[in-house]
Amino acid sequence: MSSADFTALLPLIVLSATSVVVMLAIAFHRNHRLTVLLSFAGLALSFWALWPAASVVPLQVTPLLVIDRFSLYYFGLIFAATAAIVLMSYGYLERHDVRREEFYILVLVAALGCCVLVAADHFISFFLGLEILSVTLYALSAYLTEREISLEAGMKYLVLAAASAAFLLFGMALVYASTGTMAFPQIANDLLSGGAAHIWVLAGVAFMVTGFGFKLAVVPFHLWTPDVYQGAPAPVTALVASISKGAMFAVLLRFFYQSGARDLHSTLLIFAIIAIASMIVGNLLALFQNNVKRILAYSSIAHLGYLLVAFEAGGKMGAAAGTFYLTAYVITTLGAFGVIAALSSSGRDAEDIEDYRGLFWRRPVIATIFTAMLFSLAGIPLTAGFLGKFYTVAAGASSALWSMIFVLVVASVIGVFYYLRVVIAIFATENVPSDAERPLPAVHAVGGATLLALAVVLIWLGVFPHPVLDAIHKAVSGLF
Amino acid sequence: MFALGLIGLLVRRNLLFILMAIEVMLNAAGLAFVSAGARWGQADGQVMFLFILTVAAAEVAVGLALLLRLYHRFHSLDVDAASEMRG
Repeated sequence: MSSADFTALLPLIVLSATSVVVMLAIAFHRNHRLTVLLSFAGLALSFWALWPAASVVPLQVTPLLVIDRFSLYYFGLIFAATAAIVLMSYGYLERHDVRREEFYILVLVAALGCCVLVAADHFISFFLGLEILSVTLYALSAYLTEREISLEAGMKYLVLAAASAAFLLFGMALVYASTGTMAFPQIANDLLSGGAAHIWVLAGVAFMVTGFGFKLAVVPFHLWTPDVYQGAPAPVTALVASISKGAMFAVLLRFFYQSGARDLHSTLLIFAIIAIASMIVGNLLALFQNNVKRILAYSSIAHLGYLLVAFEAGGKMGAAAGTFYLTAYVITTLGAFGVIAALSSSGRDAEDIEDYRGLFWRRPVIATIFTAMLFSLAGIPLTAGFLGKFYTVAAGASSALWSMIFVLVVASVIGVFYYLRVVIAIFATENVPSDAERPLPAVHAVGGATLLALAVVLIWLGVFPHPVLDAIHKAVSGLF
Repeated sequence: MFALGLIGLLVRRNLLFILMAIEVMLNAAGLAFVSAGARWGQADGQVMFLFILTVAAAEVAVGLALLLRLYHRFHSLDVDAASEMRG
């Protein structure tokens, strides 16, 4: 490997080194604050390493990883999101009587898995990235072992994720058997020339869609989502909902664009059905929930459906719209679950809708932040979520996907209803419980500051998106 | 073999057997890779198999750890014992 290769891999190397340093630091001196500081510093350093890496891209590093602007953009998103998760976990874990420090190693390794996924353009690195991410998520979901539902969430996630990984692998094996290569760009050569083995490629892609669909939690592979969201500790739910799905969406874009599998008519049809089903089912089921975590789980199913509309639109515009939507979605989910984490006590997470009744009159700042996040999820103007939806619809319209746009709009209207249910509870003036009836934990300073920063970024993206949009347009041009 | 694993996953109620069924599915994919590699005369399929083997081991290690915790908590390996979340 040349020095340019190392420079390109620098963000990943720094991140891996950070997890080792954190592990050693825990072995020598177990201290929660030190661990958080080290993790945060490592993530900041990895973020800084994006600039040296940007000077050598695009570069194929070994046959397994490709570092281009697309990878770097997603690296940046993952590092920033992980840093936010680390900071909001600090206040959350302080209230729990568990071994807190190892949590951060797992979070860092999960971020590493996401980065490998984003940079993968070969089946081997794709599989390794996916499993690095999944195995850490099993452990993270079940981290609070004294809670029964946390254990249950971890076990459910393990069984279903492992099964879906097996599906994905089997699909890869079928594609490999008929094309003779595992690198995404080479698959395209064989696929577009349309060999006799076509039916096996189709079967392989169908198996792979199952694997993708599971991780993205789209209908009909969504059944694990509400349970894992509810059972896992709130910061872990934030991780599952944001960077794990984000990285999977990135690899979805890269695989289907570069391998040419997106150009198969049946692939587009499958994804159109999945997208429409996700938008409808996700939004309808969310109406019947009283648990905020489950509402957000079903809403995330719907949001991934919206994202698939951008994927379906294709071209640079679709990829850019999807990436922007995802950025907005990551910020918003982090904020929403960050609020839940900040208001959770040691016994249980603040997940009941009643926990939020009259929150505005008791904790105005955090209630405002939560409202902003919910508005962004609902797609109300001045928030990043609105612009994301706007670009997605624009991309869909440019590809004349009228039926999908129609479903998107109708589904969004249904969506507004259940987000407003939570907002109404937040601003309710009747039956507001007193501090004695329903004590609220003091919001930790670090977590509070993180949430405030997320809210500022959310509004900033909503009114002044151009710097980020420019970066995204440069990033997705690397895909073509 | 893959179908066998999938059926095992769907019908078994005991967590230990579910983990074994997953193992069967992963190994089926591994076998498919080895035979695909043999078809093209490449070593890639076997390389992939080694990775699958390693990752499956890691997965089972975490799975068994969780299984032990579940057993301590519920005194049963029946999956229906650990399903209080619904909806």
